Amino acid sequence: MSRIENERVCAKGSGGRAPRALAQYRALLAKDVRQELRTREMLTSMGVYALLVLTIYGAALAQVGDKLQVVSFAGGLLWALVIFTSLLGLNRSFGHETESGCLEGILLAPVDRAVIFLAKATSNLLFLLAVEVVVVPLFFLFFLSGAELAATTPLIAVPLLVGTVGVAGVGTLLSTMTIETRGRDVLLAILFIPVAFPLLYACVSATTCAFLGVEGTMGTFWTSCGVALVYDVVMIAAAWGLYEFVVDA
Amino acid sequence: MASAHDGSAAPLAVSARGLVKQFGRRRGLDGVDLEVPSGAFLSIFGPNGAGKTTLLRMLALLSRPTRGELSLLGVDALEEPDSLRSRIGLISHKPMLYGDLTARENLRFFASLYGDVDEARIDELLRLVELDHRCNDCARTFSRGMQQRLSIARALVNDPELVLLDEPYSGLDPHAAELFDELIGRVRDGRTFVMVSHDLEKGFAMCSHALILARGRVVVCAEKERVDAAAFRDLYLATVGTGVS
Repeated sequence: MSRIENERVCAKGSGGRAPRALAQYRALLAKDVRQELRTREMLTSMGVYALLVLTIYGAALAQVGDKLQVVSFAGGLLWALVIFTSLLGLNRSFGHETESGCLEGILLAPVDRAVIFLAKATSNLLFLLAVEVVVVPLFFLFFLSGAELAATTPLIAVPLLVGTVGVAGVGTLLSTMTIETRGRDVLLAILFIPVAFPLLYACVSATTCAFLGVEGTMGTFWTSCGVALVYDVVMIAAAWGLYEFVVDA
Repeated sequence: MASAHDGSAAPLAVSARGLVKQFGRRRGLDGVDLEVPSGAFLSIFGPNGAGKTTLLRMLALLSRPTRGELSLLGVDALEEPDSLRSRIGLISHKPMLYGDLTARENLRFFASLYGDVDEARIDELLRLVELDHRCNDCARTFSRGMQQRLSIARALVNDPELVLLDEPYSGLDPHAAELFDELIGRVRDGRTFVMVSHDLEKGFAMCSHALILARGRVVVCAEKERVDAAAFRDLYLATVGTGVS
C-alpha cells in the first residue's frame, strides 16, 4: 500500500498499448461462461422451460393417440420449442450486464463494440446449444421413439446448428436493443419473431424434410439450409456493423 | 467561457466548447464551455436534471455531444475516443461489478480489457482498497461500502489520468464515505478528478475547482481559492431552487 501511496498505482504498461481484440474476446467469453457455470441462471431457466413445453406437447398429443403422424409436423414442434426456449435465455443474457452497470464498465474500456457483440453472441450460442443437446434427445424420446424414422433424420443437426447460430446472432443484437426498455421480455419477442421469420421458415422447412426423408425433398432441404446460412451471414454481418450504434445509443 | 483554468501554463485535462446534447426536443446540455487544468479536482454541483450526469458521461466517452468540441488530455475526444479510453476511469454510484465473480476475478476481467493482466498490480489494488482479505469472495457478498471500494480498484486498473466520479457517495454510510474520501486522497497525485455531487459540503471540501450547472448551462466555474464559500453556497441553493432544466 505504501508504494501506492507514493507512486501512481499501476505501471503504465498495459494501459497505453492497444489491447488485442482476440484477448478481449476471450476475456469477455470466459467471464460469461464462468458466471453461467456459477449461477446456472440461463441454463436452468431454459432447461426447465423446455421440459415444461415437452410436457405440454406430450399431454396434447396423448389425446389424439395414433390418429396423427407426429413425424410430419415434428419439425414445427421442435422449432417452436427451440425458439421460445431461446427467447427466455436471450432475455436473461444481459441481466448480469445491466444489474450494476457492468455494461458501462465494459464500454469504458477500449474494446471494439463488435468484439463485445461477438463474445456475447458466442456465449449465447454455447448456452443454446447446451440446452439443445439435452432437449432434442428428450424430444425424440417422448414423441418419436415409436415412430419409424427416415434415414435422413440425423440431418436435422444441420438446420438446428445453422438456425441456432442465427438465433444467437440476431437475438444478441435485439436483446441489446431492448435491455433498457420497459417490458423487455415482450419487446424482444415482438421484434425477434418478424426479424427471424425467414430463418425460422427455412429451418422448419429443412427439419421437416429431414424428418420425412421423402424422395425429392432433399433438394428443398439443402435449399432451405442454404437460405438459413445466407440469412446467418447477412444478419450477423449487419449486427456486427450496427452493434456500435446500438450499444452506444 | 466558463473556465476553471487560471491561465497558467498547466496543460488542460478537459477542454470543452459549446457542448450541446439534445434528447428529442429537450436539451440536456446547452452550450457548455469548460476548461479543467491537469491535476485539478473539479466538483460539479446542480439540481436534478441540470445535465451533470450527461456531461460526465460525455467526459467518460459513453455519450457523444450533439454539437460542440471536446478535448481530453490534449486529444480530440470526438475524433480519437479509442485512444483516450485507456486513460480515463469512472467511479459511479453503480459499482459496475459482477456480483457472481470474486473481487479478484472482477479486477482481472476489467484489467484484461485494457491489456495484459498484471497479478501483482491487482494484488496492490486489493491491498489499496483493503479488500485483500476478501479477494476470493463474490462481490455480491460485499456491503455497499466494500463494493464502492472495489469499484475504486476497478476504476484504477488502467491507471487513468482522468478519473470521473458520478455521485460516488450515494448509498454510503458516513464511515464508508470517510473511507472513500481517504482512498481518493491516496490516489489523487498526478490525476485529474471530475466529480458530480449533490453533497455541497463534501464536494466543496474535496475540490480545487467548483462548477454549478443548471438547465444544461454553466452558472459559475472557478478555482476554489478565488470563490467565497458562503456566496457559492447561496448561489448553489438559489440554483437548486430553479428546478430541473
